[in-house]
Amino acid sequence: MGGLNTSLLIGMQALDASQGALDATSNNIANANTAGYTREVPQFSENEENLSGGVVTGGGVTLDGLQSVRDELLNLQIQQQTSLQSGADTESTSLQQIQSFFSASSGNDISTQLTAFSSSLAQLSATPTSTSAQQSVLSSGQDLANAFNSTASGLASAQSDADGQVTQTVAQINTLTQQIAQLNGQVSQLTSAGQDGGTTEDQRDELVQQLSALTGVSITQSSDGETITTGNGTPLVVGSQSFSLQTTTGSNGFQQVLDSNGNNITSSIQGGQLGGAIQVRDTTIPGFMSSLNTLATQFATSFNAAQAKGFDSNGNAGQAFFSVPANSANAAAGISVALTNPSQIAISSDGSSGSNGNVANLSAALTNDLPSGDTPANAYANLVFQVGSAASNASTQSTAIGQNLQQLQTQQGSVSAVSVDEETTNLLRYQTAYDAAARIVNTIQQLNTVTLDLGSSESF
Amino acid sequence: MRIDPNNVPQILADMQQSQVSLNTALQQVSTGKRVTQPSDDPYASAAMVQNTIETGDVDQYTQNASTVLSNIQSADSALSSVVSSLTQAVSLGTEGANGANSTANLQAIATQVQGLLTSVVGQANTSVAGSYLFGGTSTATPYTADPSSPTGYTYNGNNDVNSVAIGDSTSVQVNLPGSQIFSNSSNNVLASLSNLVTALQSGNSTDIGNATTAVSSAISYIGQQRVVYGSAESQVNAQETFLQQDTVTLASQQNNLIGVDEATAAVNLSQAETDNSAALAAAAKVLPNSLLNFLSAPS
Repeated sequence: MGGLNTSLLIGMQALDASQGALDATSNNIANANTAGYTREVPQFSENEENLSGGVVTGGGVTLDGLQSVRDELLNLQIQQQTSLQSGADTESTSLQQIQSFFSASSGNDISTQLTAFSSSLAQLSATPTSTSAQQSVLSSGQDLANAFNSTASGLASAQSDADGQVTQTVAQINTLTQQIAQLNGQVSQLTSAGQDGGTTEDQRDELVQQLSALTGVSITQSSDGETITTGNGTPLVVGSQSFSLQTTTGSNGFQQVLDSNGNNITSSIQGGQLGGAIQVRDTTIPGFMSSLNTLATQFATSFNAAQAKGFDSNGNAGQAFFSVPANSANAAAGISVALTNPSQIAISSDGSSGSNGNVANLSAALTNDLPSGDTPANAYANLVFQVGSAASNASTQSTAIGQNLQQLQTQQGSVSAVSVDEETTNLLRYQTAYDAAARIVNTIQQLNTVTLDLGSSESF
Repeated sequence: MRIDPNNVPQILADMQQSQVSLNTALQQVSTGKRVTQPSDDPYASAAMVQNTIETGDVDQYTQNASTVLSNIQSADSALSSVVSSLTQAVSLGTEGANGANSTANLQAIATQVQGLLTSVVGQANTSVAGSYLFGGTSTATPYTADPSSPTGYTYNGNNDVNSVAIGDSTSVQVNLPGSQIFSNSSNNVLASLSNLVTALQSGNSTDIGNATTAVSSAISYIGQQRVVYGSAESQVNAQETFLQQDTVTLASQQNNLIGVDEATAAVNLSQAETDNSAALAAAAKVLPNSLLNFLSAPS
């Protein structure tokens, strides 16, 4: 049977344990709003019982440590969804920027200028000799060419923005992977020593979370910590070592992403800001650009052919109205009006200046099918539809993934987030435990005094 | 089961969502449009491209129709003056052919007919807004005096006609060249008048009679030619009616594509306001709630 000292020891251990639990509680409350913080719960265990004189008594309590409450599977799901959402967000932002060039409310879009051009030709039909009607055809033709130019330059600038984003994002990824590798090493040291990863692991998970917003990653756990690779298996972090991505200017003038061995992995990158920017830059915008260039080339060719069928106001055969660069990749960016004087418009079908016979051919160039199989208006309408539905899809996708993500975060919150109410309750609980343990110490102290004063006349 | 203690993100998301709905509803009410950018409704935005172009064209065709109509009416009224001049010439010719006139009288009648010829040539040179109605597609003055010509006038225009677009696939012929109306080889109006002048000057009753008959047949020839203008006029009138209907159709199509029903928009706005207030009220109630509010301060 243990003596008073045993009880005193148990009381002291209880004080220590309660003290540790209060520390955990106050740290939880302090970090209630820290991003990536995982609540910690104190782990108590009973001490080995004392066997003394055939009687077994309890051995008190030990605080084993603090345990972070986390769900690795949820973390993985959140990281995946974050990649998807951030990719869709990047595309959506870029497409919002692009679609303003296709919006009829801008007043300088191709649709508005095509309308003005078509009307000016119809007016010319009624008043073929009016200089102002001729001038109006020439200037609305110039406006139409400008609308093509500005739409093309809008696409090109969105593309170069996306290209800039690739370089920036790769730099951010490299900074993050270095930090993650360092923390990864620390976490694996802690866990191999049987300890909880705690705040180091929180920090690492938070950085991995940030990394997954930048690019899609795949994460596997191994004995020396997490292994992080891009979707196609290019290693970014293995244990405590990080592998930097590099960028280099490719043959198309845009930044290509290389792995640490110099292999081009641009086309295999998916998800995250990087994946979104590459998707917009290499697939979405080139698609729009190519439709726009085809339209510019075919429209100019068809209108020039109509112009060639007639005669200008001076009786000369009609010369090309629009000039387009020979390289069709620059057609929309470089289309311009070749005529310099309204008298060069081929209005006449018979060479006399009062004839309007060729205006019908010019107007028909706007309503007849181009080689693509659509009228210019329909070809442009198709493009508007493509841009609009791409923008709408990206934003719908972002919203849908966002909701999914929020649900996962709520689940994660239900596991890992700090509840101030819960901590307040714990505070009261550990306070009471601490009070009681202190009372034990106090009581034992009094008993010791009583024992030491046995037989003293002054006592009682 | 433990629940997520942190309801702030959810509350923020709800408030944001209701704010987005409110903004959308507000924008629809204030602009009257459901679609302001292609992503709002890609299909409608694409269909609007065609609609805008057609609307612009229909406006212009309507203007063309009214320009054409005024040209046709001017031409028709010029021809009507020509007919009355010719009718006058016929009565003068009939008077000259009755054999009871002195040479002086016949000369006076010949001078009058010559005056009518000048007036007909004046009508043939009618121009509207700088272009000649009877000069073909040429911009030269159609008839100028030419002493070497048997009629005393030479035609400077050409034989072409202009057709003006008053619809996507509808155009109307707006002029007849003078070479067809006034100096046609088989029915030369000017020559019939100038022959009458010559016959009157010669004093031969038979010649005067023949020349008068020729002027009469010129009247019926002009009458036939006026039919072209008459049918063009009725074609333009019919097209104007169609264009008016088309304007309405296009406007209603536009409204269906990108417009917003005002009643629906107003209801949506008020619904969005209610939702937004509810989200804010809920946030105000939930956010400050904590166990701490109910614990008495430690003494």
